[in-house]
Amino acid sequence: MDYDKYNTLRKGLLEFLLLGIVSSGRVYAADIMQRLSATDFSTQEGTLYPLLSKMRRDQLLDYEWQESETGPPRKYYKLTPTGRKQLAEFREYWSSLTSLIDEVGKPCKK
Amino acid sequence: MQKVIQISLSGHPTMFQLAEDAYASLQAYLDRARSRLKRDPDRDEVLRDLEQSIGDKLAALLRSENRVISRREIDAILEQVGAVNTGNGEGPAVAAPPHRPRRLCRIQEGEWFAGVCQGLAAYSSIDVAWVRTIFILLTICTGGLPIILYIVLMFVLPVARTYDEYIAMQSDANATPR
Repeated sequence: MDYDKYNTLRKGLLEFLLLGIVSSGRVYAADIMQRLSATDFSTQEGTLYPLLSKMRRDQLLDYEWQESETGPPRKYYKLTPTGRKQLAEFREYWSSLTSLIDEVGKPCKK
Repeated sequence: MQKVIQISLSGHPTMFQLAEDAYASLQAYLDRARSRLKRDPDRDEVLRDLEQSIGDKLAALLRSENRVISRREIDAILEQVGAVNTGNGEGPAVAAPPHRPRRLCRIQEGEWFAGVCQGLAAYSSIDVAWVRTIFILLTICTGGLPIILYIVLMFVLPVARTYDEYIAMQSDANATPR
């Protein structure tokens, strides 16, 4: 598979995957990395933190500090109402895209 | 004899002890991150996040041992954390390869003569003390040949005033469309 060819695609989708992961409850950065690690979207802190801070500026998510038992306080991320709305929109758009991709090129049924 | 540098990392109450070259490596990573984030309004916050992550990984590595962290260990951690990627077309967003400055310059910060050795050290990530030692040994062995090379490089190479400026020059060069 021409993996590089899909690089731009994955790059654009990462933000929406983050929305999905953060929507599952309050998570911190290491949870997100862990969740992505076994997927094609495996990423590094150097990419994740700038993106999370951009998403916070776009008011899609927010964080709060919370003490942890093992070490310093951590930032726990959660979605804002805008973030939830955008995730719902994206899911809808994505399923319309997949059905388009499935359908396009098939012979027309009369 | 080895010089040890104590550092504190954002969010971590304990100090970490780094070998001198390990400290230089971490400093170079953070400088590079800072220059790549220069247009990010949350630059300082992202830098603190990265520092904290590096601290978490160091703490996990040390458990509660009290020992000095080597260059090799810090480099492995920095490799995991990955180069800062702002997604503005400065390299792929997913699984970015570690960024390495490419262009050779001479660097005036900390120069002995004209900063050619400083430039070679920054270019090759070899400690400047080693570059100078090799340079001096070669000069003695070959009867002065490297001195001619030095003078040529002194006129040919572009100049960076400080290490930060050198890093900024590299990221500007990398930001141009290929």
